[in-house]
Amino acid sequence: MRMEQTGKVKKDFIVCKDVMEEFPKADEGMFRVAENLNFTVKENEFLVLFGPGQCGKTSILNMIAGFDLPTSGSITVDGQEVKGPGAERGMVFQTTCLFPWLTVMGNVEYGPKVRGVGKKERRKKAQHYIDLVGLQGFENHFPVKISGGMKQRVGIARAYCNEPVVMLMDEPFGHLDAQTRYLMQEDLMKIWEREKRTVIFVTNNIEEALYLADRILVLTNCPTKVKAEYKIDLPRPRDYTDPDFLKLRKEISEVVDHTL
Amino acid sequence: MQKKKSKYLWILSAVTVVFVLFIWWLVTDGLGIFTSNTLPSPIKIVQAFIKKLTDPNPDGATLGAHLLSSLKIVLSGYLLGVVIGIPMGIVMAWYEKADLMIRPVFDMIRTVPGIAWVPVMVVFCGIGFTSKAIVIFIGAVVANVINAYSGIKQTKQVHLWVGATFGASNWQLLTKIALPSAFPMIINGLKLSLGGAWTTIVAAELLASNRGIGYMIQQARGILRPDIIIVGMFVIGIVGSLLMLPISLLEKKVMKGGKW
Amino acid sequence: MQTKTPAQERRDKIVFGTLAVFLFLVIWYLVTKLTAFGEIFPDPVTVLANIGDKFVNPLGKVTLAGHILVSIRRVMAAFVVAAAGGIVLGVTMGWYPVVEAIFKPIIEFLRPIPPIAWIPISILWYGFSEMSKYFLIFLASFFVITISVYSGVKSVDPMLIRAARMLGAKDNQLFTTIIIPSVVPYIFSGLQVALGNSWASIVAAEMVQSNMGVGWIIITGQQSSNMVQIVTGIVCIAVVGMLLVMIMRGLENKLCAWNKQGR
Repeated sequence: MRMEQTGKVKKDFIVCKDVMEEFPKADEGMFRVAENLNFTVKENEFLVLFGPGQCGKTSILNMIAGFDLPTSGSITVDGQEVKGPGAERGMVFQTTCLFPWLTVMGNVEYGPKVRGVGKKERRKKAQHYIDLVGLQGFENHFPVKISGGMKQRVGIARAYCNEPVVMLMDEPFGHLDAQTRYLMQEDLMKIWEREKRTVIFVTNNIEEALYLADRILVLTNCPTKVKAEYKIDLPRPRDYTDPDFLKLRKEISEVVDHTL
Repeated sequence: MQKKKSKYLWILSAVTVVFVLFIWWLVTDGLGIFTSNTLPSPIKIVQAFIKKLTDPNPDGATLGAHLLSSLKIVLSGYLLGVVIGIPMGIVMAWYEKADLMIRPVFDMIRTVPGIAWVPVMVVFCGIGFTSKAIVIFIGAVVANVINAYSGIKQTKQVHLWVGATFGASNWQLLTKIALPSAFPMIINGLKLSLGGAWTTIVAAELLASNRGIGYMIQQARGILRPDIIIVGMFVIGIVGSLLMLPISLLEKKVMKGGKW
Repeated sequence: MQTKTPAQERRDKIVFGTLAVFLFLVIWYLVTKLTAFGEIFPDPVTVLANIGDKFVNPLGKVTLAGHILVSIRRVMAAFVVAAAGGIVLGVTMGWYPVVEAIFKPIIEFLRPIPPIAWIPISILWYGFSEMSKYFLIFLASFFVITISVYSGVKSVDPMLIRAARMLGAKDNQLFTTIIIPSVVPYIFSGLQVALGNSWASIVAAEMVQSNMGVGWIIITGQQSSNMVQIVTGIVCIAVVGMLLVMIMRGLENKLCAWNKQGR
């Protein structure tokens, strides 16, 4: 099922071209995180970046988010070159990064608030997304008082409430227990089908990748580049025990770089 | 880019220091806005410092002799307080029964500043070495007891369980698990109480003494010699910082720079 | 392991605390009554009676309450100014590298000097006036608060800044919605230490030179070898010191509820 570059009707929404990124190392010299990185994402596509442990997946998201800039090469989103963080690119962090001094409501409405949306309107919008992630009744709780899964739901609602065109998700379920993780994956799918966005989702869990993705990019170790590409056409909601699912799981597992 | 920036800021710091010294000189020796009876120039202060190293006038002892006298009192009271306070705190925390009763009493005594004990001790044993050493001792004991106590109390229950599972005796649990995990708090107590001791000796010497660095600045005040006061203040500040060095070294050595 | 509810824990603390203080008083009483220590040190009943008496009859110029109020007023006047100044300077130092470069060396140089060591120069500059006390308390609080707030700004979680920028916050919004709330706990810890410092410093300053205040009570007690008066002063200092700590903690719990690891 390996896919060749085919000209689909949907336009390329995010384009990473010849991206290379280097950091100065602690001792001396440069550490190359990514090189020759080329890929595109279509509008409203759910793309999963899948790769081993510390392979620089997060660095790619950080560059698309605009927190870091590529050392060379370019990243464009909807035709605009990324020069810094912006509200049109929302991110859900692995460590949730909720504002601890704000309530659930305060966190979710933060984006519209700093962009100057009036109180009534942004409350309504925030309530919509709080309901969407299933947190009605917890609006006035502070983050320290709620569980890890709920925190991540707040993180998703917060990113959605800002109505970004791109959602970047950096192993959002990485810290959750298996049971909660399955639940969150299901819910995320439901949310995505109701409110379509272009999503780039980073994970090192093969089942999570297969469950969620329209397309999976398998990345190599540092310096990272795209090693293989899979288009996943399985019908949704997907079944972890489906033979096709298991076959793909085996196939992709064999491609992944296990040498750390 | 980052490096360039910090270099420029370092120059700014240096320029500020020079500028402050220049303004200080300008309002004193330069334009004579302040006479040397209120604010002596930096040059006069350096001169006073050099002179005071060898000249016992006007208060009967050289700077070194005053300093030595203060240090003798501080170190005897402090070391005794440490030697008694830390084991006491550990015993209090390790044997539960002592806990609920002794703790509030120590909390109460702690709110009394060391200097308030000076009159009591002066009435008991005059203005000599003993009264001040006892005042320092009280302050050091209280601070070290409370910190050693809180340190042991903070030992993670899980760590103790792990120890117990491996068959550690009560004594082994204390020395191998509780003490190492209490170490940062104990160090904190050592630092706090040393700072407190140094402050207290200065205060005690201001009030009741015939020797010592606090006595020196108090006498200089009486005969309008701000140059000697300021020399004394700087020496107090510098010696106070130097006293902390051995404790910081101990901390670094035991914790080996790692996170606790 | 039996677990206690927070309410039970609090009740235990109050019960045992009161019991401990009571026991302490009983032991104090017995020691002074049964040993030779009683010849040089007053028993608690005498001290408490004296405290009651001096709340009605003046000690020196004013009653005990008057002395306490004088000391508190001195601390508060300067403390408020120092807190305002320290918070502003600490925040700007943490936020603007240029401000940091200008002020940090000066503060690092002056900070190790204990506030009490400023007493002689403050008397020399301001004489007997209240200003010498204000000056001292200002120094006792200002550096502590500044450094605490400054380190608070420096330790704002960079990931929270990222999250805010991702949501579209501009620089000035970053400052008001992320930096300031992050720093609040540091402000409080700074204020707490500073208030403790100030209370100790005012006692010392009043002992060195004054005609009123709690420090004056114990130093005149020393001069007339009146141990009852000395202990009276110490008790007042301890009680007021403890109340100040409790007020600050209460305020902190109110304003930083989000910071408490609740269960």
